Amino acid sequence: MVSRLTVNGEPVEREIDVRRSLSDFLREDLGLTGTHVGCEHGVCGACTVLVDGQSARACLLLAVQCEGAAVTTIEGLTPAEGLSPLQEAFRACHGLQCGFCTPGMIVLAHELLALNPAPTADEIREALSANLCMCTGYVMIVRAVAQAAAARA
Amino acid sequence: MSWVGRAIPLKEAARLVAGRGRFLDDLAPGRLLHAAMLRSPHAHARIVALDVSAAAALPGVTAVLTGAEAARLSRPIRPLIPTAVPVHDWCLAVDRARYVGEPVAAVAAVDRATAEDAVDLIRVEWEPLPAAVDAEAGARGEAPLLYPDLGTNVLWHDTLTYGDVDGGFARADGVLQERFEFSRYASTPLETFGCIAAWDAGTDAYTFWTNDQRPGLTMAILAESLGVPQPRIQLTCPDIGGGFGNKRRPAYLLVCALLARRAGRPVKYVEDRRENLSALMQAAGGVMDLALAYRVDGTLLALSIRDVTDEGKNLISPAQHNLIKLGNIANGYRIPAVRYEAWSVLTNKCPSGANRGIGKPFMCFAMERAMALLARRLGLDPAELRLRNYVTAAEMPYTTPPGAAYDSGDYPATLRAALERFDYAGRRREQAAARASGRLLGIGIATSVEPAGTNLASYEIITGRRAASGSAEAAMVRVEPDGRVRAALGDPPSGQGYETVVAQIVADELGLSPEQVDVARGFDSASTPWLYLSGNYSNKFSVTDTGAVVGAARRVREKLLRIAAHRLEADAADLELRDGAVGVRGMPARVLTLRELARTAYADVLGLPPGEEPGLEARHAHQNPLARPMDAERRVPSQLVFANAAHVCLVEVDPGTGGVKILAYVVVHDCGRELNPLIVEGMVHGSTAHGIGAALLEAFRYDAEGQLLTSTFMDYLKPTALDIPDIDVGRLEHPSPFTPLGAKGVGEGGAIPGPAAVANAVEDALSAHGVTVRALPITPEQVWRWLERTP
Repeated sequence: MVSRLTVNGEPVEREIDVRRSLSDFLREDLGLTGTHVGCEHGVCGACTVLVDGQSARACLLLAVQCEGAAVTTIEGLTPAEGLSPLQEAFRACHGLQCGFCTPGMIVLAHELLALNPAPTADEIREALSANLCMCTGYVMIVRAVAQAAAARA
Repeated sequence: MSWVGRAIPLKEAARLVAGRGRFLDDLAPGRLLHAAMLRSPHAHARIVALDVSAAAALPGVTAVLTGAEAARLSRPIRPLIPTAVPVHDWCLAVDRARYVGEPVAAVAAVDRATAEDAVDLIRVEWEPLPAAVDAEAGARGEAPLLYPDLGTNVLWHDTLTYGDVDGGFARADGVLQERFEFSRYASTPLETFGCIAAWDAGTDAYTFWTNDQRPGLTMAILAESLGVPQPRIQLTCPDIGGGFGNKRRPAYLLVCALLARRAGRPVKYVEDRRENLSALMQAAGGVMDLALAYRVDGTLLALSIRDVTDEGKNLISPAQHNLIKLGNIANGYRIPAVRYEAWSVLTNKCPSGANRGIGKPFMCFAMERAMALLARRLGLDPAELRLRNYVTAAEMPYTTPPGAAYDSGDYPATLRAALERFDYAGRRREQAAARASGRLLGIGIATSVEPAGTNLASYEIITGRRAASGSAEAAMVRVEPDGRVRAALGDPPSGQGYETVVAQIVADELGLSPEQVDVARGFDSASTPWLYLSGNYSNKFSVTDTGAVVGAARRVREKLLRIAAHRLEADAADLELRDGAVGVRGMPARVLTLRELARTAYADVLGLPPGEEPGLEARHAHQNPLARPMDAERRVPSQLVFANAAHVCLVEVDPGTGGVKILAYVVVHDCGRELNPLIVEGMVHGSTAHGIGAALLEAFRYDAEGQLLTSTFMDYLKPTALDIPDIDVGRLEHPSPFTPLGAKGVGEGGAIPGPAAVANAVEDALSAHGVTVRALPITPEQVWRWLERTP
């Protein structure tokens, strides 16, 4: 069926197979490979995107369910030049190692800071516990989000 | 000031935080097909009949491959450690499946969904067979046989005795005997394993893209199994989304290659998470019987270990989990006599294989649990017992009975620094006060040696003959014609930041900044120098790879100096590299930039010194100097350079839920000179988190029929940000005299003592309940059962 949605601010109108997941649609049909797929059963959060501003697992959504919705991926959160303050904080604080979970973590942290601009370390941990990272032990991811929040204050 | 040693952020980060990394599944060569695999639902079953006709007829399906066809079209996969009686193992199961999830057929189709639809149409008639799930039963010869031709499930059984073990036990005041179990678990990189194969009909050559961590060995297997000369195998690794040893499966590359050849189009296969958890690689589980002879003052006299390893269907590297334990069997302690009885036993489970620390976490768990129990028995503080037994700094270098050479370090100082950082005395008071108010607080200590750089000569202990040996790696440094510098390494990183660290090393050698050095992403066999030993494994970067990079950079440096000396008419000894140029010391005007020197080297070659070869590129391979062959007493340094660490943690057990919460966690470690302290600290956090996961959460559980009960992240639990505390890291730096930059391994560190530290803390918290921790993970259910038993 033909679906219409907005991806990173651009209108998209496509014939989409009804069984196509949003993550496959973004990665394979639109070439937005910054959204990663880590488990395909909604636990790891590597595929986290924003749907109408709220974080969602792109592996658990069908693309056709996003009819009329505004989807934002890591590409949509990245400035044309340079990095966003959150991305810069992940870089500076070494909040990543292999980088596979990183786009999902940054999308999740973006949502957290939109809802709670000055989170405590415990609040950051609570929010980030939605996603898995296998490399960092989370310590420096928590520091990165705290630093980004502090930089905005 | 040198760049090595500075805590600079990852060069790689700029692309990775923006989602601009290039991981395997991001690659899509033209006309790409997608593969899916039919996998065994049984732990052990005979394939009576296999009918792929309906799958092959499905629109969109281009090629189908069965095990029987794979056995006709390819040769068996060559093992790293061969079995005594050769056992043929192809890329797909041929007549029998031997674990749940073993691939038996594969389909290539226009997309993954169609390929999976086709797999559903394959009809298999199975004859289920009794499954071997208990390694000890296999050791006793009481389990169903996986390979009747072998006549046993035991792949290796041997007893190695070093020193006067019987005398040590005879002289002892007492003997601590205990049995420990270790679960199967895995580091489960967030990116699953994947590969793409393409075949060129005109040249009968194959191109592979993969996140396989060990390209040198894998390419040898590919060439041999596909029956083509090695020059016709090209292998490329893009960004790799975590590895930890798990990412190796030449069989999947072979499946894609055979499908690609049949279809005449490139074929991609990427595991889904269930396939990853059930069939890629799990750390071997097992049981260990430990006997420790001691004097009443706590002095250790002898150690005897019987270690039964549950290999699963591991025909690639059987007994590796046993053998590697010889590297840390005595941990940091002066134990003059050691006996090690090894059993490596096949079972109908996922193949075991490399997983962060491979074997060493279990060895350290048993030894450090034993130290905790012995301290309690002798009424000694567990820190004091350790301090009485450590190999001291004055004894370095120290050779352990099995032949491991501890190169440097101050183990007592590491523990003392950790105790101080933790405020051990203060926390003990806090613990006593909390206990008085009914809270269950416990303090755990575990310390470890962390070996790095596997010496492959050690496999001779198992096989009786030497095939590969040593630990080596290759690198390339090149000043391009525009004066910019490029470097490449035969070890594809999977999150360790090599693009940054290699740039730091090269920058120091050539008088540049790391931003001026481009380090190749991943690996490409066509442009990266490599060895059979090349790869991302055994913690070898700091102790082996660095030598390759330093060596290549120095060759380029010397050539730059020779060319500059000739052109500047100066003595090379009077020249220095600074700010992207070579100049005469103290004479700022007499200088040539790298761009000018590169122009001479590549274009204006008549300006070269007489006899100098054009070009500005050098390759270098380095082997760690500590590797030696096995000696007549079967001693061998199985691993080469030793870092060390002390973990001290405080936990609270909730008697209501059985949950364990880590309230404080201190690590003090010594990995010699830290090449980039930011990367090092991140690795310590991450590896410690793996240890905590193994201690409290993670286990691959199989039922009596060999069915895997934990095959998703809903039931195989990984630690989240709420499970890992804010790990506090302190450091000592005792440089290794045996590595080019004084660095030691740090990648496995926390994963080795972490499980023991948490277990010791939980046992301490439950000391009033008479609990002895003998197995992991310590789940809430387990704690609840302990507390129920002793109200």
